[in-house]
This record gives sequence, structure tokens and C-alpha cells, in this order.
Amino acid sequence: MEDAIGTVIEKREVVKGFFLLKFHLITPFSEVIPGQFVMVKVPSKEVFLRRPFSIYEYENGILGILFKVVGKGTKLLSAVEEGEVLSILGPLGRGFSLDSKGRPVIVAGGIGIAGVHLLAKKLGEGVSLFFGCANIAEKALVSDMVHLRPSISTLDGSFGFSGNVVEMLKNYIEEQTSYDLKIYACGPEGMIRAIKDLLIHDRTPCEVLIEERMACGMGLCYGCVKKTYDVREPFKRVCKEGPVFDLWQISL
Amino acid sequence: MADISLNLFGRKLKNPVMNASGTLGYGREIEPLWRVSEMGVYVSKGLSLKPHHGNPTPRVWEVSSGMLNSIGLQNIGIDRFLEEYLPYFSETKTPVIINFFGFTVEEYVGCAERIKDDENIFALEMNLSCPNIKEGGIGFGKDPNMVFNLIKAVKSVTTKPIFAKLSPEVKNIVEIAKSAYEAGSDGLTLINTMPGVAVDIRKGVIPIKGGLSGPAIKPVALKAVYECRKAVPIPILGTGGIMSLEDALSFFMAGAWAIQVGTATFVDPYTIPRIIDGLKGYLEHHGFSSVSEITGITE
Ligand SMILES: Cc1cc2nc3c(=O)[nH]c(=O)nc-3n(C[C@H](O)[C@H](O)[C@H](O)COP(=O)(O)OP(=O)(O)OC[C@H]3O[C@@H](n4cnc5c(N)ncnc54)[C@H](O)[C@@H]3O)c2cc1C
Ligand SMILES: Cc1cc2nc3c(=O)[nH]c(=O)nc-3n(C[C@H](O)[C@H](O)[C@H](O)COP(=O)(O)O)c2cc1C
Ligand code: FES
Repeated sequence: MEDAIGTVIEKREVVKGFFLLKFHLITPFSEVIPGQFVMVKVPSKEVFLRRPFSIYEYENGILGILFKVVGKGTKLLSAVEEGEVLSILGPLGRGFSLDSKGRPVIVAGGIGIAGVHLLAKKLGEGVSLFFGCANIAEKALVSDMVHLRPSISTLDGSFGFSGNVVEMLKNYIEEQTSYDLKIYACGPEGMIRAIKDLLIHDRTPCEVLIEERMACGMGLCYGCVKKTYDVREPFKRVCKEGPVFDLWQISL
Repeated sequence: MADISLNLFGRKLKNPVMNASGTLGYGREIEPLWRVSEMGVYVSKGLSLKPHHGNPTPRVWEVSSGMLNSIGLQNIGIDRFLEEYLPYFSETKTPVIINFFGFTVEEYVGCAERIKDDENIFALEMNLSCPNIKEGGIGFGKDPNMVFNLIKAVKSVTTKPIFAKLSPEVKNIVEIAKSAYEAGSDGLTLINTMPGVAVDIRKGVIPIKGGLSGPAIKPVALKAVYECRKAVPIPILGTGGIMSLEDALSFFMAGAWAIQVGTATFVDPYTIPRIIDGLKGYLEHHGFSSVSEITGITE
């Protein structure tokens, strides 16, 4: 873990309201596991706490985050300029486990793609990628992953499967003859719930990356907890014991 | 050479800088960045006789110049802390202040009784911001008589020095400080968070009721330190919104013997070691030989 100094080397609005920011880190991270995240200090007096973002990509001291503008912090972050210097704490949290058996299936909803992008890259050709978004414009969020031939759904039906990503996943699962799947998911809470309902019968192995409001991002404050089925200590820190959890161990 | 060590209750502390309770986890979480033994004292997360699961989320909420928290005192309980976490502080020779709380006098007393005579436990810090469930839920720290009786009861079962940590949500904090002193409190910690709420205007609901911390409460904390140091002759640990060396100096000058850094660590996890370094530099530069030379210099 480092509190690294990152210089903005690239900013790109991938789709309206979605930005890719790339930083050069002066003190590089040692090892990054897909699913881990960073806490970014937004360079403005109007924003007090740091903001958590998944590590979208990382290689040789170059860190990328992909974010959607939803409020004050992300708005200000979308206005940073190349050459600006920010504090970036990371890599944080427990990422996805890569050594599991089962055929990997990644499910991402909207900006949730940011949380599984590095995983998809690591898993490579053997992975099935399901991406759900609002409309045809947002399919640009997976344009660098065409080699994985992603299945895309749009809520407005303007491209690919018409409907939500879990309905598309359901069709896929029903077509399978063997059930040795391993699902990795990241997206809005509604999506995670729907996945749980879909998989509950077989309790298909599934890891989910979840979000919670954070203050420190490194296990200091106990502000970011998720309720689990652990009776002794039900509330686990999303920033420390997560953000990736076994779907069957958290209470949704 | 300026010496930033502090002699307190017959013990020499490396420096007068600590973390505020509940803002440095169980201690080791920060160690990928710096060592807890760099601080004069490690202050534990709030502990209780029985473990507490804490509140549902949202537990934290950003506000202007600060944050609200409603962690709900989640903790593993005093016994597990002593067994699983304390040995590490002994190994690293880090003095510990045990912060603890209860919802009845018996819970506070029970908790204090568990704390053995471990040499590494430097003192106890009583969080008085809890409701007394046997007295209609009124906060222990709000009533001078309740404060007096509670501290007396705890003092009777421990030989460790006690810091009473006061809530700012009281009619007159000086009066509470006097009660604590008269009951035998060895020191004061000023202040705990102030109650507040946030409104989510998109949904028209109150998503969180919690304690306000950070720079927003600094002037309130400074006033408490300043007024209490004039009223009672016991050491004060100042806390509330300390983000920088300058903030720390304000607390010393207002009358704090030592300071505790809380919320700032979330924003910049190196705040504590930076204040420790800065303090050395400041004293040297201004020709002071110790922190006590600036403590309480304000009239
Ligand atoms: C582990 C993790 C990884 C994340 N990865 C990404 C990512 O890769 N890309 C992306 O666009 N977003 C991601 N998010 C969500 C992102 O942190 C929030 O959208 C962002 O903090 C909003 O900040 P704001 O100031 O614009 O919004 P505001 O609503 O103004 O923020 C106010 C406060 O609420 C918090 N907050 C608001 N929404 C969320 C949320 N969904 N999750 C957690 N805290 C929130 C903020 O951090 C801030 O403290 C992630 C969240 C977590 C916990
Ligand atoms: C997340 C969080 C948890 C806290 N937990 C405790 C606690 O368990 N016991 C306690 O006495 N004070 C607790 N506090 C209060 C702090 O110790 C401190 O008194 C207060 O936050 C003011 O200092 P600051 O502005 O530097 O944070 C907590 C504060 C925060 C922000
Ligand atoms: S954000 Fe502080 S413990 Fe997770």
C-alpha cells in the first residue's frame, strides 16, 4: 500500500458522463489484484474525504480509473487537467480470487465494468463477458474488449439484447449443459440481488464487488461495513475484508 | 535540541501525539504506511464488556469541512482486545490508552475491572457520550452527578490513571469537567464528536444521525480545552479537527498537554507522523526546549 503521488497523463470522456483518467505514479504499486481499489484525493477544498475507485487498469506505474459523474467529487475529478498531481492511496482491499475452478463468467452493469475490467484482461480469452448498459452509446465502455466478444444488453433496446444484463445471463445459463461456472459480478445493488435470485437454486460459485460509503478506505474507521452471515462479527469492512465478497456469505 | 517527549503520570512518552479513539482501527491497519509505535500513545477503539455489532449503513457521511459517523461502537469486546491485540503493543513498546464505554455503571465498572495491571496500558479513557439506559437513556456525560458517580465507581476498581472524555453536547462543559475532577479523574480528553444529521434532498429523508468530527468542530474543541484548563488542574488531551501542525499548536497553546488526531487520518493517512516531525522542527526553530513551554500560553 502506498499513498502515491499521481500525475494525470491522460483524460478522456469515453461516453458522455464517463471519464477515463490515467495517472503516472511516482512511487509505483507493488502488486495489483483485480478488484482492488484506490482512494483518490480530489484536488478541491469543497471535497473533504477521498473517493474510492476501482483499479480499471494498472501496468508499470500507470494507473487508470474509469468513473461516472454522479456528484460533487466526480464532477470535480472530471475537470482535472493533464499535468495535475493528485494523492492516490492504494492498492486497497481484497480482490477477486483468480485460482478458482469453473468456467469464468463476468457480469457487469453500467459503471460496474470498471471493477471487473482488469479481471477480464487477466482471465483473457476463456472468459464470457456479459455487459449491461443503458443504451447503445454506453457500449463504448467495452470497446477495448471486443476480442472477448462481450454479450451486451441495453435497457432501451438500442443494441444487443433488449433488457437487463441478468435476464441475458439467465438465458445463457439455461442453455448450459454443465454447471461448472464461476461468476464474477459488479454493478448496482439491484443487479446483485437479481443475480442472487437467479443463482440461488444451485448456489453457483459467485464473487461480487460491492460498494459502500467510505471514509478511510483502509480499515481504520469501520464506516463501510456490509452485513454477512458470520454470527460472531456480522459487519465486515468493505474496504478491508472486501470489496470482493463471496455472494453466499453476504446478506443482501 | 528540542525534546518533544512528555512526562505524564510518571511515565515518559515519546511525544505528545496520539490517534483519537475509533479512527485508527485496532492499530495495525495503518502499519503498511507507518508504525503505531511512532506515536507517544496508541488509543484503542472504543471497547466494551460485551462485543457490539454496531449500526447498519450508511455509517459515514461527508459534510462541509468534516463528516458524520454512526459506527454504533462496533467492537470485539474488551476480552478479545486484551488477548489478541494488546500483546502487539507490548512487543512494540507502544503505550496504550484503553478507550471504553458502557450503557450502565456496571458495564463501565466491569470493563475497567478486566483491565489487568499490564504495564503497557498507560491509562484508561472513559467515553462519557453514551446513554445511561437505567436512567431513561440520558447521556452519562450530560449530568454532573452521573459523571461524578460513574467516575468514582470506576476509580474504585482500577489503579490506572483515567481520562474522562467529555461530550460537547452539554449545557456547561466546565461544570462537567469539575465533576470529573472532583470524582478523581486524572485527566480529561476534549472533545468527542457533536451530534448532527444530514438530509438527502433527492429522497427527502435523513439518511444518517451521527457524530460530527473534523475541522468543523475545531473551534468548539479549542474553547473546551481553553476553558477547562482554567477550571481544573489536570492534564488535557485535546482533540477535534486537528489536520495540521498549526492546528496541533493551537491546541497546545490553548492548554492541551497532548493531542489526538482523528478524522484527518482518513483524508491524509500520514497526518500523525507529519505532525510529530513538524513539532520537533517548530520547537527547534522557535527556541523552545519542550512542548510544555507552549502549553497553555494563551491568557
Ligand atoms: C470499492 C469501490 C469501488 C468503486 N469503483 C468505482 C469506479 O471504478 N468507478 C466509479 O464511477 N465509481 C466507483 N465507485 C463509486 C464512487 O466511489 C462514487 O460514485 C463516488 O464516491 C461519488 O462521489 P461524488 O462526490 O461524485 O458523489 P456524492 O454523492 O457527492 O458523494 C458524497 C459522498 O458519498 C459517497 N458516495 C456516493 N456514491 C457512492 C457509491 N456509489 N459508493 C460509495 N460511496 C459513494 C462519496 O464517496 C462521498 O463520500 C466505487 C465505490 C467503491 C466503494
Ligand atoms: C469513525 C469515528 C469513530 C469514533 N469512535 C470513537 C469511539 O469509539 N470512542 C470515542 O471515545 N470516540 C470516538 N470517536 C471520536 C474521536 O475519537 C474524536 O474525539 C472526534 O472524532 C474528534 O476528533 P477529530 O475531529 O480529529 O476526528 C470516533 C470518531 C470517528 C470519526
Ligand atoms: S472506509 Fe474506513 S473502515 Fe472502510
